[in-house]
Amino acid sequence: MKDAPARFWRGNESRVAWALAMPALGAVVILAVFPILWTVWESLHLHDLRMPWLGRPFVGGANYIEALGDQRFRSALAHTGVFVAITLALEITAGLMLAMALERVSRGRGLVRTAVLLPWAVPTVVAALIWRYIFESPAGLASALATLAGVTPPTWFADSLAAWIPLMLADAWKTTPFVALLLLAGLQNIDSALYEAAVMDGAGPGRQFVHVTLPLLRPTLFVTVLFRGLDAFRVFDVVYVMTGGGPGTATEPIALYTFNATLQNLRFGFGSALSVIVFTVAFCGALAAIRLFGADTFGERPA
Amino acid sequence: MTTTQASTFLIVLSLAVSACGPRPGHVLTFSGSVVGREGDVIRRQLDRFRLANPSIVVVLRVTPDAADQRHQLYVQWLNARSSEPDVLQLDVAWTAEFAAAGWISRLDRFQPPVDEFFAAAIAADRWNGTLYALPWFIDAGLLYWRTDLAPQAPRDVDALVRLAKRAQRERRIPFGLVWQGARYEGLVTVFVEFLGAFGGSILDERGHVVVDSDAAQKALTFMRDTIYVDDIVPPAVLTWQEEQTRFAFQNGEAVFMRNWPYAYALLQDRAQSSVAGRFAVMSMPAAPGGTPTAALGGAALAINAHSDQPEDAYRLVEFLLQPSQMIERARIVGQYPSRQALYENGALDGALEIQPTEALRIIEHAVPRPVTPVYAQLSEILQVSLHRALTRQQEPHAALGEAATAMRALLARVRLSPECHEGRAC
Repeated sequence: MKDAPARFWRGNESRVAWALAMPALGAVVILAVFPILWTVWESLHLHDLRMPWLGRPFVGGANYIEALGDQRFRSALAHTGVFVAITLALEITAGLMLAMALERVSRGRGLVRTAVLLPWAVPTVVAALIWRYIFESPAGLASALATLAGVTPPTWFADSLAAWIPLMLADAWKTTPFVALLLLAGLQNIDSALYEAAVMDGAGPGRQFVHVTLPLLRPTLFVTVLFRGLDAFRVFDVVYVMTGGGPGTATEPIALYTFNATLQNLRFGFGSALSVIVFTVAFCGALAAIRLFGADTFGERPA
Repeated sequence: MTTTQASTFLIVLSLAVSACGPRPGHVLTFSGSVVGREGDVIRRQLDRFRLANPSIVVVLRVTPDAADQRHQLYVQWLNARSSEPDVLQLDVAWTAEFAAAGWISRLDRFQPPVDEFFAAAIAADRWNGTLYALPWFIDAGLLYWRTDLAPQAPRDVDALVRLAKRAQRERRIPFGLVWQGARYEGLVTVFVEFLGAFGGSILDERGHVVVDSDAAQKALTFMRDTIYVDDIVPPAVLTWQEEQTRFAFQNGEAVFMRNWPYAYALLQDRAQSSVAGRFAVMSMPAAPGGTPTAALGGAALAINAHSDQPEDAYRLVEFLLQPSQMIERARIVGQYPSRQALYENGALDGALEIQPTEALRIIEHAVPRPVTPVYAQLSEILQVSLHRALTRQQEPHAALGEAATAMRALLARVRLSPECHEGRAC
């Protein structure tokens, strides 16, 4: 009897592993799986806090049908896609240039790197407010600069296209340092012997970049793109503070529309359906990206 | 005071009352705006109520300053069938929503003197013919105009455009007219005034959506053209709320401004305003065929449907609506009383910034926004469409057509379209 527990533990290591993982798994179930399932269940109901006389009947896919037929929802999805594509391109390009510059810095390295990271440390709402002031009034900095350059400035936030410029600039300004930091870590992992070899073979800086830096940076680049892409897909605070999704709904991303349906209009059923769609799109997007480009990052590592 | 502090206070109070008070458990809670001087006035008036009713313990439950946030909190409390607060301050546009949800009590059984209040305000407090709230104070949209820049008040909207243009040209004033054009509730109140000026409305008397009528298209086209054709309204207003328009007007940059009465005292303050003593107010003038219209704002008092002591709650409502309490509010906060007689019998003389007769003329033009439980949703649909048209993403007729379609679909979905009440399929 006495050595039964001991045999139990010795005899089945995987059982030990499971037992030890249980608390963490329990937390995941309570904090992630359960809320997601609850949201799915909620999305199959009509649940309008502002219209209690309608009750809370089960409506099947009605919320999903309404969402897919909703022009404002489809536009919000498109806005989000455009926002992700453009800000990601801006941030990766600028971030890579910044990272390569930072790698070269030899004197005052710590100070320079800290200074570069500052925009990222500013709370998003504060950063967004500053950018709003720059663009908001006709006497603002952005309009003054445009006038100096001989261009008639638009009323930024009342123009459905121009309103994107401050939004994307603010997001890029805020996030590029973070991207640069991730890429810098990747750059420092590249063996300098490879560059020496490339120089011996007569490769100039351009060919070094294309044939050494880029291929070896690929795993880091991929993680960065995935990370930032998912982040940009959920963009909320910058838009909420700067344009509120306007003019009209011309800059409304999906997260803001969902917030609006759920917390402003208190339509919990419909809002849940939107959340489920967004979750599915993001999840499938990430999965597809990993399958297509990320095999060497997440799969077998080259020795 | 935070909510936690308030509820601690409440618990202590109820213990004290159950220990030695006259009637156990008798704590009446009131919740409303305590912003700035409103807080001083309501605290003083509640003290007076306590003195007059020693058997009732009344407690002030503090809520967020922002109307949106207060609305959200009320919805959460009332949805949970909380018996507190017993008495609530509601924005005029919320009454129907709370009434239809069954969150506030019918007041008819108390036989309140409804004839003593402004009819438009009472209309906003009725739902399906039943009275659910009583008007506390009135807000009405005003047209502020510079008496030193325009020779006389504009008779109609065309005269307004003419006078604005002339002052811009001859007196080098940057803006002819400023209004609240950001995508928010304020834009709908501005639209309601131009809509009335052109003879249109959002819903007709039977509740049908008529926001795509010819009159509505003319009103919206007029608003858009004042920006891009007449050049009297700066495009920047499309991001402005009340305060930005007030800043422009008080810096002497605008000839006309649409705003609420609160701005009057601030514009008269020489410390911050350069136009003190050089402006007057009127209702938004009409177009030929329309009526001068002011959007009705303000607040009403209602009783929680799950209140444990509705009789005492009504005594508090009655007390706060007494003429003397209203006059005090008018004098200290500048809010216009909801009792018509006060303007006519001299009781308000010297209490408001403008003559009571002048205030009365403006309030007489006030029309409520649509009284429907889904007003907030209708308003949101309209805000988006109006803003699209005003930022030239859509033509006015297309924007209003889309808004009308969405509104009709919403009313049908929540089973509130007139067809449902008329017994037809909907």
